[in-house]
Amino acid sequence: MESNKKYWKGLEELNNSPEFVELNKHEFAEPIPIEEILSGTGLMNKTPRRNFLKALGFGVGAVSLAACEKVPVHKSIPYLIKPEEVTPGIANYYTSSYDGHAILVKTREGRPIKIEGNPNDVLSKGGVSASAQASVLDLYDANRLQNPMLKGSSSSWDAVDSFVKSELAAIKAGGKKIRLVTSTVNSPSTLAVIADFVAAYPTAKHINYDAVSYTGIIQANQNSFGKAVLPHYRFDNADVIVSFGADFLGSWISGEEFTRQYVSNRNAKSLEAKKMSRHIQFESGMSLTGSNADVRIPVKPSEEGIAIISLYNAITGTTLPGSQKLSNNASAEKSIMIAAQELKAAKGKALVVAGSNDIATQTLVNAINVELASYGSTIDLDNPSKKYAGNDSEIKELVADMKAGSVDAVFFLDANPAYDYFGAKEFTDALAKVRLKVSFSDRGANGEVTTIGDETSSLCTVIAPNHNYLEQWGDSNIIEGYYTVIQPAINPVYNTRQAEQSLLIWIDAPVKEYYTYVKNNWEKTLLAKGGLAGQAGWETLLQTGFVKVADKAAVSYSLIAKDLAAVANTINTQAAKLVTKGDDQVELQVYANSVIGDGKKANNPWLQELPEPVSKVTWENFAAIAPKFGEKLGYKEGDVIKITSPNGYSVSLPVLFQPGQAQGTVSVAVGYGRTLAGPVGNGVGQNAFPFLTASNGTLQSSSVATIAKTGEISILAQTQTHHSYEGRTVIQETTFEKYKKDASSGNRSEREHKVYSLWDEYERPQYNWVMAIDLNACTGCGACVVACNAENNVPVVGKDEVRRRREMHWIRIDRYYSFNEDGGAVTKEKEIGALQKDTAHMDNMDNVSVVYQPMLCQHCDHAPCETVCPVLATVHSSEGLNHMAYNRCIGTRYCANNCPYKVRRFNWFNYWNDSRFDNYLNNEHTQLVLNPDVVTRFRGVMEKCSMCIQRIQAGKLKAKIEKRPLKDGDVKVACQQTCSANAIVFGNMNDPESEVAKALKSERTYYVLEELNVQPGIGYQVKVRNTKEVQA
Amino acid sequence: MSNISLILKQFSRSVLLIAGFAILGFSARAQGDAAKGEGIFKANCTACHKLDQKMTGPALGPVITADTDDKWLTKWIQNNKALIAAGDAKAVKVYNDNQQGNMTVFATLSDGDVANVLAYVRTEYKAMQEKAKAAPATAAAADSGPSNLVIFGLIAVIVIAFIVILLLNKVIGTLERLLLNKKGLAVEEVEVDDKAAARKAEFKKLLKNKKLVGFFIVCAVICGGSWQWVTLWNTNVHTGYQPVQPIKFPHDLHAGVMKIECQYCHAGAFKSKNATIPSLNVCMNCHKSVDRRMDASAPSTEIAKIYTALGYDPATTKYDSTKAKPVQWIRIHNLPDLAYFNHSQHTKVGGLKCQTCHGPVETMQEVYQYSPLTMKWCIQCHKRTEVNYKGNAYYDNMIQVHDKIKRGEKVTAAALGGIECGKCHY
Repeated sequence: MESNKKYWKGLEELNNSPEFVELNKHEFAEPIPIEEILSGTGLMNKTPRRNFLKALGFGVGAVSLAACEKVPVHKSIPYLIKPEEVTPGIANYYTSSYDGHAILVKTREGRPIKIEGNPNDVLSKGGVSASAQASVLDLYDANRLQNPMLKGSSSSWDAVDSFVKSELAAIKAGGKKIRLVTSTVNSPSTLAVIADFVAAYPTAKHINYDAVSYTGIIQANQNSFGKAVLPHYRFDNADVIVSFGADFLGSWISGEEFTRQYVSNRNAKSLEAKKMSRHIQFESGMSLTGSNADVRIPVKPSEEGIAIISLYNAITGTTLPGSQKLSNNASAEKSIMIAAQELKAAKGKALVVAGSNDIATQTLVNAINVELASYGSTIDLDNPSKKYAGNDSEIKELVADMKAGSVDAVFFLDANPAYDYFGAKEFTDALAKVRLKVSFSDRGANGEVTTIGDETSSLCTVIAPNHNYLEQWGDSNIIEGYYTVIQPAINPVYNTRQAEQSLLIWIDAPVKEYYTYVKNNWEKTLLAKGGLAGQAGWETLLQTGFVKVADKAAVSYSLIAKDLAAVANTINTQAAKLVTKGDDQVELQVYANSVIGDGKKANNPWLQELPEPVSKVTWENFAAIAPKFGEKLGYKEGDVIKITSPNGYSVSLPVLFQPGQAQGTVSVAVGYGRTLAGPVGNGVGQNAFPFLTASNGTLQSSSVATIAKTGEISILAQTQTHHSYEGRTVIQETTFEKYKKDASSGNRSEREHKVYSLWDEYERPQYNWVMAIDLNACTGCGACVVACNAENNVPVVGKDEVRRRREMHWIRIDRYYSFNEDGGAVTKEKEIGALQKDTAHMDNMDNVSVVYQPMLCQHCDHAPCETVCPVLATVHSSEGLNHMAYNRCIGTRYCANNCPYKVRRFNWFNYWNDSRFDNYLNNEHTQLVLNPDVVTRFRGVMEKCSMCIQRIQAGKLKAKIEKRPLKDGDVKVACQQTCSANAIVFGNMNDPESEVAKALKSERTYYVLEELNVQPGIGYQVKVRNTKEVQA
Repeated sequence: MSNISLILKQFSRSVLLIAGFAILGFSARAQGDAAKGEGIFKANCTACHKLDQKMTGPALGPVITADTDDKWLTKWIQNNKALIAAGDAKAVKVYNDNQQGNMTVFATLSDGDVANVLAYVRTEYKAMQEKAKAAPATAAAADSGPSNLVIFGLIAVIVIAFIVILLLNKVIGTLERLLLNKKGLAVEEVEVDDKAAARKAEFKKLLKNKKLVGFFIVCAVICGGSWQWVTLWNTNVHTGYQPVQPIKFPHDLHAGVMKIECQYCHAGAFKSKNATIPSLNVCMNCHKSVDRRMDASAPSTEIAKIYTALGYDPATTKYDSTKAKPVQWIRIHNLPDLAYFNHSQHTKVGGLKCQTCHGPVETMQEVYQYSPLTMKWCIQCHKRTEVNYKGNAYYDNMIQVHDKIKRGEKVTAAALGGIECGKCHY
């Protein structure tokens, strides 16, 4: 069973540092002070007899009194007039839309409690991202503004309306500029409202402003093809993908959709057809996408442009002026050549993407894609994406105009430039000169600590709080021809009003009710596109959630401007600017991670506690640097360093040693460091937006910065090494080459061995619930973790408790690193031991590959937890599940100790009813998000994955009521349902036709720690890498 | 002349006769048969009309007494829609005056039936009014019933009288003793003392009997112990729990006498995990027209609580949602949160009767907790109850079911995993 490859979760595990070994010996990070009490004065203290008797007397009295308690009075309050569609106890589902994806909102007794994918969603086919799963919690955010604000004090809508109207009238008379700043709006109805607004106030102009900007791509498409659009990428059509720092499975444009596309060429079905795409990633910081790549080459930001030029040269056989070799990065140089060959071989089915926001870089990438005949196949310019349309120059212009005093009114809708504009200071100074400042932000006052507004809206004259998306009508159009509708799933909780309605009222529009406006708009133009009409059509739409126009035929494009010399020149100059001088200078890369993104959702505790997929850090951002580089500078993990930009902005962040990080670079995530997000998000991490630089007309994410040690130490709340297998092999992998020859290659499962059992076999006459997880499909995004939180009422514990290894997630995504050596010759454990002696392995740190493994209760048939429980709180069922009876548990924690997978979680606190957790879930309002079919666990009991037993039971009951057998697919567990990659399959093993039974029959299936003969119920499928025998 | 006068006489007589007959006939028609009318009225009209009060339709007593155009009334009752459609001015006015509510068309009622109804309405309303005139006197009489003050006064007088009697008794006893002492009859008392002493000695003897004392101690321990055991065992078991509800809702009347199906009000019981307490609009399905017990003279105060909760004014039949305030019932059956219970599984799938767990609700004036709702109680039932699998295709594929049937065993809920922890605790 010994693997020939060493996997490790973190450097401390790899190095087996004494602290790490010591920590892992114990079940809990902090020892329970039992010995202290026993050996110290704790029990030896003499208790005077009288005190003892007093205590005894009081105890007996108190217990008797407590036992005398009468029946607790529970009120049961029925509806006065029950809405016809509501039956208490039965969930209703409404179609809606999040981020352009069609979704279903699950409501119970009129309150939304869960977001589920709409299986017909064109983009992700029912997959839902972590942030969409978490969005339902935003509705219950106790920090939402409860009333409109006028000049800093609570006001009424009438007062706000008359004030804004009179101001606007005066401004109109004055003739100065009015600006509407929004993050990209693709909603047809909102755009129509804005058009109406501009018509009413001709000096008004709409500015799309994206905190994380895609201006580079849009402008490059304008330059290359005369189409200023964001293309619709089609990773499902690509056999070879080369990405330069584009995190397309995570935060880049449309992660969920791209995940589905990408995995469709790498999942079990594709492998069975002997087909697997190849993915080569060049990047500086390790991104979610990079960690999934077959080949990942670390390149510095300064080398990225040069590498793209080299690739262009290698593909076309020409040499652009100013081309240079990557003299310091031989492996990158070599890989570029290999990538070029492979791309050329896959012409028409190849795709090159770059994450850069530089127009020149993107123009060159366009040229490469034209050369590879990608347009019309892997890139669709005819049905473009409308997710981002921001233009960096417009916001810059706005700041200049405001400074010049030529702007009299500015409106902010879903935009927060005072936080996320790179020149925030300049922006706020200029904003002060504007006469009328209106924000539609809903951040606001709460409880004792009263803060009004977010970073921008707190500077505004008027705050007209917008509805949460679950309270509003609306629509969106994220891809040309795909129109989704947003319908409210709950009445507005607070005295908020839809931003569009506010605008309609302020222009005295004939239709002021936004619902009517949206409906009219659809009836006029959009319904017809889906072949619908009238009231009946509208009602059909509300049931289906979207209309889809047939795609226009995607055609191929050729460049308008053939001469790329100027482009190459710009790239080279740009690269030269990033060259560092001296030891304290580094290339700083600023990126958005897939969890927090641009920071608009920073007040969401589910997202803050979701470990960032690669680093597994929660509740903060950090400075990621390469281990070797860090050691060279004398840093240790957790050292707080000060990063200073050339213009003097500085932040202090703890260091994270990130294997795979390019040498001499530091990566910092944006979206953290909010100051006015709310009690959850305030002060979490540091703001990295000011590190963006404006150059060549766009905002660029790379710059040169200086770093210095501050001497402070801050321990990261990182979950990666919390659950140790003590070096046992849990990952099995193979290469595509080997797989093609032998489908079971890499699978060292020992099913042929004779096994002996101490226990009788369980009978599972009806159902045997099992799960199959395809390691080759899982990208590690973490949506399942949030889905599980929402479905099973998993509590949030906060940063301090995560540091104590007390996170409660029932499902975690383990991330394993392993070394690549040339030709994929993998390292044996002994060799690693040898490597540890010297620092040679630090060189290998650049070249690591990553495997993600979702780990949850394995529902073992011979469960080690069951045999050690002294009170039989955890027992086996006749359906192959390991039940956990919380009310029987007395908290000995023996089960967690004996669990080889470390998936049991102990409730150290009453997280739902403890003032220490007020920020997260302990408030009356937020508790409304709880799933009423699942109990919340009390302090002192164990909990773990139940395989969503409430869903199994509900599925069975439905079948019984309908008097039919349970079908495969009737029961979907929460993690499976949300997965865009369909990596998780759940079902009944006793049904040979079920999807899961078929999946588990695959040659790739193995069971984790099979050698223990605990007979787990979850089968994993071997990870396959498309590495060539001789790799880069 | 005589001829003429004769003719005149005859003519006038015949005219008179005809007129008399006509009047007789008319009056007979107008009067109709009130007794017959009552039946028709109760069968057809009471759903929307009352005689003295506005309901869905106007109060009929005053309207029909005031309106004597019986021909028109007959037409209206038989087919009001046709009248309105024909544009009859009066009909349209009535229609508009009553918020354009649609009255049912009674085409099946013959002219005679309608006449009977009208007669009933008029006579009954007249009787009601007369009663009402008499009523204030009786009402006043009823009002002068004993007030609280009087009752308390009476009680106080009785208590004081009792104390006085006791005191007097004591005084009499003392006086008697004094009298006896004077007569020198205290010797008897000594005899009494001797008897007491003898009894004491006997008792002391018994106390020294160790076996007897031991027996009593054992008895006491057994009694005390078992009492304690039962008390502790039943801690938090609330069988018989019968809280005072905000509305005294009589289940015995609704489910027992009226035989209303449980599900009519507890509509969730067959669909959902919650049986659901009915929302007040369900109550109003009937109580819009029923505001008192059949035999009661005044509207029920309990039913009025529904109206208050809904902000409903029975006089105007209008709802005022600003005055609405939900009824806060007190839960009787409290399962802890850690136990999941689904009604539909037991009723719809299992085919259990509500009474199996809730007891004879149809005889309960106020509902109390009938079953202990302990886990033991659940499990016992799961072990004993056969699964209702016949005719349910869900159970078809269950190998175990087939095996058991072959072996002739009972297929209980427990045999299908019904007593596993995870069935209820998650």
